Order: sequence, then C-alpha cells, then structure tokens
Amino acid sequence: MRLPEISKEEILEVYPKVAETMADALGCDVEQVTLTVPIIEGLDAESIDFLDIVFRLERAFKVKIPRGKIVEEARGDLPEAEFEKNGMVTEVGLQRLRDYLTEVPAERIRPPLKAADIPRLFTPETFCKVVVRAQRAAQAGGGAAPVDQRAMGRG
Amino acid sequence: MGDHFSAFSFVDRITEVQPGRRALGRFSIPDRLAEFPSCLVAEALGQLAAWAAMAAVAFQRRPVAGLAGRVEFSGAVRPGQTLDLAAELESCDRDAVAYRGWASVEGSPVLQLSQCVGPMLPMEEFDDPRAIQDQFGLLCGAGATPGRFPGLTIPELLLAQASPSGGLRAALQIPVSAPFFADHFPRRPVFPGSLLLDAKMRLAAALAGRILPPVERNPPGFSHMSDAKFRAFLSPGQTVELDARLLAQAGGRSATVVIAARSNGKQVAGARVALLPQEGT
Repeated sequence: MRLPEISKEEILEVYPKVAETMADALGCDVEQVTLTVPIIEGLDAESIDFLDIVFRLERAFKVKIPRGKIVEEARGDLPEAEFEKNGMVTEVGLQRLRDYLTEVPAERIRPPLKAADIPRLFTPETFCKVVVRAQRAAQAGGGAAPVDQRAMGRG
Repeated sequence: MGDHFSAFSFVDRITEVQPGRRALGRFSIPDRLAEFPSCLVAEALGQLAAWAAMAAVAFQRRPVAGLAGRVEFSGAVRPGQTLDLAAELESCDRDAVAYRGWASVEGSPVLQLSQCVGPMLPMEEFDDPRAIQDQFGLLCGAGATPGRFPGLTIPELLLAQASPSGGLRAALQIPVSAPFFADHFPRRPVFPGSLLLDAKMRLAAALAGRILPPVERNPPGFSHMSDAKFRAFLSPGQTVELDARLLAQAGGRSATVVIAARSNGKQVAGARVALLPQEGT
C-alpha cells in the first residue's frame, strides 16, 4: 500500500517548529537543523535523542506518534524475511526504503545496509513527514503515524 | 542474593499498581543513614515507574537511564522519614516508557518528576527476568524488608576548577567496584544516572554559590532541573568530565547553570539546574 504523498508546502509548514524542537532536544543551534542534515552523523544524535525528539514533537504538535513503525511502513506488504536477511536490508528492501524515504538521496540508501542502521538515514525532513502524517491521522479521527525506534535501542 | 534488591533499591512496597498505567509505593529511609540526597528520591520514583512498566511487558524489557524533562525540588528529606511515591505512566510499550511521578513525606511534596522517558531494553541483558518477577510479587505483597538499604558512598567530585568561559570544571571518577553495581545491574553494571545527577547538582551549586549571595550563611538551594538526559551507559572505572556554565541569572535572585558531562571525548549527559538563594531552615 502506498501512502499518500506529502507536499513540500506541508513539510515547510511544520519545519520551523520541528527544527526548534529538535534543536532543544539535541542541544544544538536551530540553524544546524536543516531539512537535509543526517540526524546521527550531522547532529550527533544518540538513540535516546530519538526518543526525546519524538516525545517533544508529540507535546509540541499535540499529536500521538507511535513508535516502531517507519520500517514497517517502508516495508509495506513485503514480508519481513524479504525485507531483511541476517540483519541486512535486501535489495528489494533498499528499494522500499528509497520509495518511502524520498527525502533521503537515493545514493545514501545503498548496500550493505544493516537494518539497525536505518535510523542513520533519517533527516529532520523525515520527522516533518512523521508530524504531517500524525496530524492527518488526528484529523481523520485517530490512527497511527509512523516513526521508527525499533532499531534505535541501546545496549 | 547479596546486594541485589538492597544496595540500590528504593521501593519497599508497592501498595497499588496498574501495569502500564500507574503505581503507588513507599520507601522508608533507614534512620541510621547520615543523609538521603534528593537524587535518590528521584531514583525511587523512577524505580516505581519502572516496576509498573516492567509488569506491563511481562518483565521481558526494562527501562534503563533515559531522560527527565523536569525535576522539581520542593523539600529535603531526612533519614527516618517514609517516602510516599506515586508514578503515572503516560505511555508504555516495548520501546519506551513515558512517565511522571510525585514523592511526598507526610503529605508534603518533596520532589516531582515530569516529562520523563526511559528506553525499554531487553531485561536479560541486565538482570534475571525471573528474579525481577519474584521481587515484584514480594513488593506487591508483604513488601521488602524496610531498612535494608545500607547507604552508599557517592563518588567525590575531583577538584572543581574554573573553565576559560568562567564556569567550573570537575571530574567524577566512577569506582571500579561498589555494592550498588550488584543491584544496578547484576548482569551489566551501569553507573546510576541519579548519582550522575547528584554530581551535576553539586557542581551547579558550587558555581551558583559564587554568584548568588548566601542568606544567613546558607548556600543556594535547588529549584528545579530540566533536560536531564543520559546519552550513554557509564561503566565501572570510567572517568566523567563535568563542565558547568552559567546560562542566566536574575539579579542575585536565581541562577540557571548548564551542565555537560563528557567521557572519552563524547557528551554522555547534560542538564540545566536552577538554583535560588536559600532562606534559613
């Protein structure tokens, strides 16, 4: 199932508050939170920061953002065994990620990619899309918006 | 069992619990202790919330470290007093628990936690799920033996020195061994975030003491702490460098200090601490 497209206007509408929220969570300047910067490599985020960001976004936008869904939504109807094998994302899985994470340059989604490293692809725009989906879900009277922390656990 | 469930356990009894939702509990501070710092009251609330969270996932996951969005300090506690603890879970699943909590003594609030988040990690990495489940049964029933907490030696902050920015720097040497590591946690010793919190508070107080005028010789008191986040596990023997800088002050009436903790060149924790001149007690 393909999710409805999110327009650039929708992303830019939520971006200022998303950037401010992420800067607060990461202790960085808001100017550093560009739409395209990789959150882990570019902003030095740790797994706890992702949790922090999600809970702050929930409070800032008054939406519910269930955890553990980005990869599932990217995977769609593809069986998990075909999406990843032995912890590595398969070629067809990589294509699903390219289709889903349209904000991430396709050349960054290349093999070999560990499933646990998928959050390394996320950018502030990924979270803008999460917020927009959460807002849509809220307007539709509930439901879920995706964000993934399945692969962000420490330890 | 040794120090497990005693050396760093601060819930004696769970008087009411709805797994994944809320819990009420108690902890009697042994009267033989010299003191019971506020950081351990926060730890007690976190532990009560952890019990309610672990019970919701059949003790297969447990919260470890995480963040406290806000900690309000309302009053000090003394050995011999009993803490009444309340935790309310805002959400809880296999990935994370979000909660808030209140601690009071004889009806008077002493500490409040809000906007707290703990990542839920595999229990087996840290503790024996069966032993945890049994302990939960004990706490919900007759309760653990009051007074079993033997006290602990909080690691000293090593020589605070002025930083180029006008702040203060200090080092915290985590001991290689300590009884609390047997309780936190038996399978993987982790330096408790609440003890790091204590170190941050001491350094913030030292810096604020240079700015806020003492009232009747009292040092500044803590108002609240915000954005206390633990970004990495700290292991026995690790050295942590703490850096405190003044973020804001209001004409001698309050001070806000930002604390960053680094280890091996990486930021491992941070917090903002607000202090006020303290009236005589």
